[in-house]
Order: sequence, then structure tokens, then C-alpha cells
Amino acid sequence: MLGYVCKYAPVEIFEYMGAEMCRIEPEVTNFSQADMRMHPNVCSFAKGVLEDVLEKDYEGVILTTCCDSIRRLYDVLKEQLPDRFIYMLDTPRITKDAGIRLYENRIREMIRAYEAFSGRRFDEAGFGAFLQKKKEEEDRREADSRLSVGIAGARANPNIEKILKQHHIRAAFDLTCTGLDRKILLEPEQVMTGYVRGLLSQFPCMRMEEAANRDQLIVRYAESADGLIYHTVQFCDNYAYEYAWLKQILKRPMLLLETDYTKQSYGQILTRIEAFLESLGREPAVSADRTGGNQTMYVLGIDSGSTSTNAVILDQDRKIRAFSVVRTGAKSGLSAQKILDEVLEKAGLKREDLSRIVSTGYGRVSIPFADENVTEISCHGKGAHYFNPKVRTILDIGGQDSKAIHLNAAGEVTDFVMNDKCAAGTGRFLEMIARSLEIGIDELGPAALQSTEDIEITSMCSVFAESEVISLIAQNKEKADIAAGICRSIAGKAYSLMKRVGLEPEFMMTGGVAKNPGVVRAVEEKIGAPLYICPEPEIVGAVGAALCALEQMGR
Amino acid sequence: MAKRSIADSYIRYVNQEVKEKPEKGWNHMVQGFQANKWRARLLPKGNLSRGYQKLEAMMMSLVADALSHKDRYVWGNIFAPCEIMQCFGVRTLSIECLSCYFSGYHLEDYFIDCAQNSGIAPTLCSYHKTFVGAVESGALQGPRYAVTTSLSCDGNLNTFRYLEKKIGVPFTFLDVPYRDDEESVEYLAGQLRDMTSRLEEVFGRRFDEETLRQAIRVENETRRELLKFYELEKQHYYPGEIISQLYLMMGTHLLMGTEEFLDLVRFMVQDIQTYPRLEGKRILWVHLLPFYQETLREYFNGSKKYQVIASDIVLDFAEELDETDPFRALAVKTIRNIYNGSYGHKAEALGRLAREMDADAVIHFCHWGCKQASGGSILLKEKMKELGIPMLILDGDGIDKRNSHDGQIKTRLEAFLEILDAGGEQKEGETC
Repeated sequence: MLGYVCKYAPVEIFEYMGAEMCRIEPEVTNFSQADMRMHPNVCSFAKGVLEDVLEKDYEGVILTTCCDSIRRLYDVLKEQLPDRFIYMLDTPRITKDAGIRLYENRIREMIRAYEAFSGRRFDEAGFGAFLQKKKEEEDRREADSRLSVGIAGARANPNIEKILKQHHIRAAFDLTCTGLDRKILLEPEQVMTGYVRGLLSQFPCMRMEEAANRDQLIVRYAESADGLIYHTVQFCDNYAYEYAWLKQILKRPMLLLETDYTKQSYGQILTRIEAFLESLGREPAVSADRTGGNQTMYVLGIDSGSTSTNAVILDQDRKIRAFSVVRTGAKSGLSAQKILDEVLEKAGLKREDLSRIVSTGYGRVSIPFADENVTEISCHGKGAHYFNPKVRTILDIGGQDSKAIHLNAAGEVTDFVMNDKCAAGTGRFLEMIARSLEIGIDELGPAALQSTEDIEITSMCSVFAESEVISLIAQNKEKADIAAGICRSIAGKAYSLMKRVGLEPEFMMTGGVAKNPGVVRAVEEKIGAPLYICPEPEIVGAVGAALCALEQMGR
Repeated sequence: MAKRSIADSYIRYVNQEVKEKPEKGWNHMVQGFQANKWRARLLPKGNLSRGYQKLEAMMMSLVADALSHKDRYVWGNIFAPCEIMQCFGVRTLSIECLSCYFSGYHLEDYFIDCAQNSGIAPTLCSYHKTFVGAVESGALQGPRYAVTTSLSCDGNLNTFRYLEKKIGVPFTFLDVPYRDDEESVEYLAGQLRDMTSRLEEVFGRRFDEETLRQAIRVENETRRELLKFYELEKQHYYPGEIISQLYLMMGTHLLMGTEEFLDLVRFMVQDIQTYPRLEGKRILWVHLLPFYQETLREYFNGSKKYQVIASDIVLDFAEELDETDPFRALAVKTIRNIYNGSYGHKAEALGRLAREMDADAVIHFCHWGCKQASGGSILLKEKMKELGIPMLILDGDGIDKRNSHDGQIKTRLEAFLEILDAGGEQKEGETC
């Protein structure tokens, strides 16, 4: 079995020569080999391929000179697996005649190398007949359409399609590295030249010179879908340029989705795609039966976050009957049961009085008694609109992630961005710093307000920032000034997130960190506008979940 | 002292102006570069050798003078063939170098944030982010044309394409093939010829092949002189700063083939011979140098103990070019550059360089976002181990201080230098 990664790889040639071809789609749990043999900052896909190839028994791997990371992957594979057929195909970026000529000769050379390696033979006339057959099969295949979400960007992680399928939404198109079906060009007089021309005339990837027109093509494709998922791979930077540009010209809703080819990233992908589908309003409607309750209807919203689990009971008139906040323990399911008992007691109700329960938050799928789960993005949007309908931009800083959400006048989510990959700019980060300063987390905000000297914390990584704080302590800097520096550093990150969804006033902050006056002041200074903060900023998501429950009950 | 504070106030003023009124900021940035040009000429840094003083002044002039007229330069990357642009009386200013100049106004973090806020990947090379951000911020004004190559990083094509869309600077993209063979040379030489015709249209001037041949003759002579200089640098203490290596890289990439750079290298060859014998360790530096990093400045700037004797970014090609077919010659030069092709080929070349330069140690700096350099660092370490040359890998950022933690660099560097000093004459091949 020969592995390959790129759509410009001449797969059909190897198939014709009798090799089994396998597109490498790694799904790994760690990058231990890659971090040791390459560098942690190399593209996650390339690192995943390295792990995959070292683990499995490929006869060889066909790589193309598509990007810096893949070039280094070749160097490492070649060194690690000297007896396998590890081949680097020099793929031109120019698709005009000079490029076709060069690529054809490169491919011929590769064929000779593979003949010598495998003992198999290649014959051009035979290959022509093989292509003819392939082409007939291709013509018989009919495109399956009427779908609503398109995928563009870097090679699509197979989980994207899986998730779309689970939600009964099919991909309208897939314009990523691997998504296109190959166009087979058959020129009987010059089989190889025709074949190579076909290879190079595929939908251009970002490394190709003619990719300049990709944006217009994508805009045109996007018209056939309700929304576009723009996928990028961590440490693969090529596609972010296009995203930045498309954001300015594309009229359709677009989700930027970054993945890293690990199994663990599934949850993060799921939350983003679900929230996106919810914002498109295309989630299949839930037919909600009344599961309990009699005269007055009550619903429960439960938000299972990393730091706290919050619950709210609303009545049919959207009034809050009771709410509760508990610290999330090691098992979110247990905290959920605890909070259910607590909030029911506060409300003076029994479990049977609840007509519907909707869960949200990162632990939303682990709440056994929930009738339905909705992402925290949609719930924060609904909750914020409930408390203050003038709000257009929400900043939510929770224990382990932070996000910015844009709402329209009707309170619908129109855009959102999330940071859940890096601790800097989250509640967890504040806890770390409070520990270093030897003060309680509740004291950090008030302390920051007492600051008299401006200290800048420059490190963007929470680990670096913590050591920066430790050196400031060693220099005898005042705790209040360090605390204020940290709040400004969080505000800087928050500002970037808010800017990416448009910075439209009015602004609201939710999540536990909204209770920190130091961070609130720093964010207000940064955006130059006040932040609306409701009396219990931690329960906004749970209120949103309860509102979803009411909607599902037809209220 | 008074002068220093005037410069600092001006830097602060421009920094604020770019953020508040970006459309006005550009002219003041360029004026500041002009002032710095005169500063470098009239008040050179006393801790530098005469050659490096002149080099700094020359690079300040290059940037300040070119930026003063939009018709006098093109944007490029450091591998763009400046020799061809020179035939049109046009300078090549690489965007990586310009980003470093912007950091003179402490604007790199602001520009990087502007780029990232517009959606550019945070993991992209910081030089490219700084440049894209400068355009995004509205401060930067563009020239009439740009030239870039696929060598040596992915960012080039995409950054230039983005700039073309964003502020309409058209560009030529040179696709440098990976393999070193006749076919690749033909392929690239053809593109160079096409580019030349394009430049004729853009700048309204006829191209004269003899001018290019003359540039190649000068280039060959410069390279011969440079090799003499390196030979002498093994023996003489020639005080420089880590940024001097970056200026030298600018010279060998943006002013190659000019008489003025040849004269400078000739001067350096004479001048270095007047300096005392080098008693310290000879360090070969691989990849970029974070010129702002406190610890590195402390240990290497003007140091008698540890002299950075060479860097691969300066000496990335060392052959004689065939002036009779200048386009082919430039194609060969680009294809055989040590940054092209497999890392195995680069590791071999660096191994040779380390031996030829009698390097006591190698330091490889992994710049944030640079996959092609970082991805090969372990292979290089293995190569150096084989040769018994100690090597240190440092992670950091060539321009963005926020990605480079001085405390961590300090610990690694000091430990490495301790090992090096303890090893004395013996080189047992420690790698860190």
C-alpha cells in the first residue's frame, strides 16, 4: 500500500501499476514522534502523517513539494524509513505549458524510480486504456446535490463531513485539498501530457500561482449553499489569508474552523459546527412533547461549564423562578444531578414539574436527564438578548475558553469566534496568576483597580506570562500593578476576539470573569465603551438554554 | 544623551501617529529612516568595527532612499533577483527586512495584532504578519511592482497575493523548482526572462543584457572577496553586533552585483587585517537572528569571547556564476541555494561550512512560524553530532518579542556556553 496526501499526486499511475493507493487521513492522540523528530510548530497535518506512517506498514509514501511542512516531512521520513519508497515529487506552481512539461518529466522519472523499486512495469498505451475506463466510470457518476453547507480551505478533516452527516446536512461542495473528484483528461496522441494537464487543472490550491481567482470561484460556489465552513489546519497558515480576504467579500455566513488532526479536537469541532448550524437556523426542528408539569409550565436550562455548572428555571412567561451555581467537579454528570436537586429545592418544585430540560456548555452531552442540548454560543446569544435586547456584541470569558458573539437586532447569532485552545485570556489563567501573586481569585480584580503604575505583560502564552509575573514579583513590583497588567493582557485578547465579530455596540460581558472588576475596566478602556453586565453573569448561558426549552415547547 | 532622547521622542511620536492617523504616519516613518541614515553616517556606533559601521550606514541608506520614491524600488523577498531590478535602476526591498525596520518604531506588535485581527493565522511567520498588518493598518504605502519567489517559504506567494488584492501592487511570482537539474534551470530561466519583459513595461525602460552581465561579473568578484573576508574572520576579532549579520544578509541579497557593495566588502577585507587575533570561540549561526533579544546582545555584541563568524543566511550560495548567460546563471544561483531542496542537502552544506569556518559551535534559531527551518532543526542537530560540533537549538521569534521569552533563552544559552567553555579543545559533540 502506497500512501499519498495531495490531490496533485498522480494516483492513477500507481493504481495502473497495481499498487493499492491510500490517502493518508491521520487521526492521532499525540505527536510524540513528530515533536521529537520535527518541531512542535510544524503543521499538525504533517505531524499527524508522520505519526501515521511510522506506525503503519506503508510500502511507501508519495509526497509533493506542496508546502514547507511537507518538505520537512519528506526529509524526516526519508531518514527514518530508508528502505521504503518515500518519494518527493517536484510539483510546479505554474500550470501553463512550462509547468505541464516539467511535471510530466518529473512524473516519468518517478515512474522509473518506482519500477526499479517494485519491479512493476509501466506502459503508456496500457495506461491510456486504463484512463479510458476510469473516465467512463467517472462520467457515469452523477453529482448528488441540494445540500446546504459548503466546505473550503485546507484539507477537510473527515470529522467535518461526519458531523454534517449526523445533523442531516450534506456538503454542497468541498473545495479543499482532497475534496474534488479528479478530472481525467484523455488525449490519445499524448496520454501522459493530457493526464498531467488534467492533474494541474484541478481547482487550484493556495500554493498554485493561478489561485488568484479562487476567491471569485468560492464566492460563486457559496451562492449554492446556505453557509460556508472555512477549514484551516493548525500551523498551516496558507489558508488564513484567503479567509481574511473572503471575510471582506463573501455575503454568506462563514465559519472559520481550525483543527489539528487529533482525536481530542473532535469536541471543539462539534461545538463550532453545531453553533454554526444553529445560527443558520437549519437545525432540524425538535418536536417537543411535554415531558412533565401541569398547570404552570416550568423549564430548566443547565449550563455545564468547566468551572461552574449553572441552572435556571423559567416559567412559561419567561420569568426566572430560581437559579443556582455550583462548582463543576471532576464529573460533570454528578455536578448536574447536584444542581438539579438544588435548583428544584430553591424553586420549591419537583422533577415532574419540569416540562423540558435543555443543556448547554462543554459538558452538555453528559447531562443524562436533559431532553436536548444546544451549544453555549446560541444559548449565550439568547440569554444576552433576554437581559438586554440592545446588546450586539457579547464577550464571554469562562473558565477554559473565551468567545465573542455577534447578535442581530432579533437576538440571533450572526457570527462568533472562540478561543478554546489556549489558556491565556481565560478564567483559568487568572486563577494561575492569582496563585502566583498569593491572593484569592476574588481579590485580583479589586486589587487591579488600586494600581498606580502601568506594567505591560508582553507574553502571549499563559506559561510565559506566568514566568513574566514571577520575575516582576522578584523585582518587587506591586501586586496591584501586576494584577492590572494581567487584566489589560486579558482585555487585549478579548478585544481581538470582539474585533473579529465586528465590535458593534452595545456590549455585554458574560461568564464568571465578568465579576472581576479589574478585567471589566480594562476591557471597557480597550473598546472605549461601557460593558453591560447583568446581576448574575454566570447564568446567562443557562437562561439561554431555558429559553430554548420554552421555544421548543412552542412558547 | 540629548540626541538619544530626541530619537526616542520621535519614535514615540511616530508610533502614536501611525496608530491614530495612519495615512499621515508613513511619511514620518520614512523621514525617520532618513534621519537614521545620517545618524549612521555621522555618528556611527563606537563599539562596531569600521566595516560594520559602514555596512549599517549603507543599509540605512538603501531603505531610506528607496522608500522616498515609489518608482525607485520594488517589494521583494530576500531571494528575488535584485540584479535584474538593478538593470532598471530599481532597488529591491524585501518585506522581511522592511518589517524589521518598522520594529524600529516599536510597531511590530501593533501591526501583528492588526493582521491577526483581520484573520491572518497567528502561527504565520511574524515578519509576514508585521508586513500584512502594516498594510491592514492603513499606514503602509506600496510601490508600483513586486517580485517574489517560492523560495524559501510558503508565506511568499500568499502574502504578495494578499497585498495585490488589498492595495493593488501587482507582482511576478517566480516558481523555484525543488530539484537541481537542467530542466529546473530552464524552467526558472524562462520565468526570469518573462519577468524582465514585464519590468520593461512597468518601468518604461529597455532592458540591456550587458548591464546584467556586468552585474554578474561584479557579483562574482564580491563573492570572492567575501570568502576572503570569512577566511580572515576565522583569525581576527572583528567586533560586530548580531544585527550586523542581518545587514550583511541584506547586502548579499539586495545589493549583490552593485559596485558599492563590492567596494564595502573589499574595504572589510583590508580593514579586518588591522584587528587583533581572535582568541574567543567561533559561532556559526543558522537561520535568523533576533536582534532585539537582550541576552543574545549581551553575549554576542562586540564580544571577544564568542564571535558570530558566519550565518547561513548570508552565505547561502557560494559558486561562481556564468556571466555569458545571465538568466541561466541567476536560475542556477536560486536553485542551488542551500534553502532549496531537501534538508539533507542543506545539512551537508552547513556541515561543510562549519568545518571550513572552524566553527566551535553552531546555534540554530527556530523562528516562530518558520516551518522549513524549524522542521529540519533535529536533522541538522544529528548532522552536527556526526561531525562532533556542539549545537544549540533556540526557539523564539525574530521580531515579535511576545513569542520569545528572554529568561528561557538565557538559561539555554548560558548552559550551552558553559558546556562549550568546559570542553576547551575537546569537542565531544554535545548537542543541546
